[in-house]
Amino acid sequence: MTAAQRERVRRMSERALIRSWEYRQRAHAKGAWFRLRRVLVDAARAFAISDIDADRLEANGQRPLVVGRELSPAKRIFFVSQAQLRDIGARELPVRLTELMRCSAIALLAHEPSAARDGLGSEDRSPGPALGRSVGDKSK
Amino acid sequence: MQFRERLLLTLRAVRTVLDEPGIMVAGSQVPNLLEPGARASLVVSQDVDIVVPVDKHEAVRQRLSTLVGLVPSAEEPSVWLPECPELIEVNFIGMDSGERAGETYVLEHAELPLLVFGNLCFLRLGKPIEIDGLVVPVPRPAGLLVEKLLTDRTGEKGDRDLLVVMGLLLVAQPPDLEELDLLYRSLTPEQRYFVLSNLSILSLLEPRSQMPDPVPHRAQLAQLMARLERLEPA
Repeated sequence: MTAAQRERVRRMSERALIRSWEYRQRAHAKGAWFRLRRVLVDAARAFAISDIDADRLEANGQRPLVVGRELSPAKRIFFVSQAQLRDIGARELPVRLTELMRCSAIALLAHEPSAARDGLGSEDRSPGPALGRSVGDKSK
Repeated sequence: MQFRERLLLTLRAVRTVLDEPGIMVAGSQVPNLLEPGARASLVVSQDVDIVVPVDKHEAVRQRLSTLVGLVPSAEEPSVWLPECPELIEVNFIGMDSGERAGETYVLEHAELPLLVFGNLCFLRLGKPIEIDGLVVPVPRPAGLLVEKLLTDRTGEKGDRDLLVVMGLLLVAQPPDLEELDLLYRSLTPEQRYFVLSNLSILSLLEPRSQMPDPVPHRAQLAQLMARLERLEPA
């Protein structure tokens, strides 16, 4: 075994240990990041909203998602309808952790059921034009 | 010279090894080869991984003497370095689908020591790709997807590897996703958790130049995660 291979196996074993440790924490505080990402996966669009609008949503019976309270400082995260969104002053943000973590209150719009109709592995996807649209791909 | 030409020249240079039944090309070059005309436009590292099942180790070793234009690295003999700029590095990696499946270990050998990666045990030989008369054995997409989603990834390379997963998902056909379901069911709870975790990271990645963009496919990724979650034992 070369020194490089020995070192690589050592690092991989170390990572496997850390991964198991992370897995055991999935139901605890550190697992909040996965739970937050899982919520965002289901969001088609995300909006920063004011605390006043968040208060208004709560007053109207909308309950913020539990995962927002698992962070510090806590964030109020709501799934809202298009109609609810029209009534509040919202600033759209990319659905990405970095941007959303700067907001104290967030409104999310779920994917439309039709958006996933042409699902991955759909029958009508030809195997040839493989990778869909690549960013910066000038041949498209 | 374009990267595509270098990749194909390298695959031609190792043709005798690729002719050995059971050997396959894996890693990030697979989606590059799956692009129309093997366009190889994705930005990945300049090497190609060749998977050697441990029971083919001796057969591959014998064929290595026929390689022209590549020499083993003194520091890491499983990496073969190009002797000319027209070729790229070749990385021989081990796969064990037998008794030690799932285990990462070093297959000791003076000439060709192999790092056997545990997660490669999910790979199964798929339909070969034919490019300009060259037949390239590649794994079936489902196994490659599971392998990529289970491997620990960090930083820029980690993000790009996940975008490669996006590329593989976009070429997946219904039978590939059914096979993915079966493989997912066979994983341990910890492995299933990391598959879902990496898919959630993929869904939130920002676009990268010359890589598949996950943003237009986020609804499909959500659907895929929900599909896999439904397979979880009650």
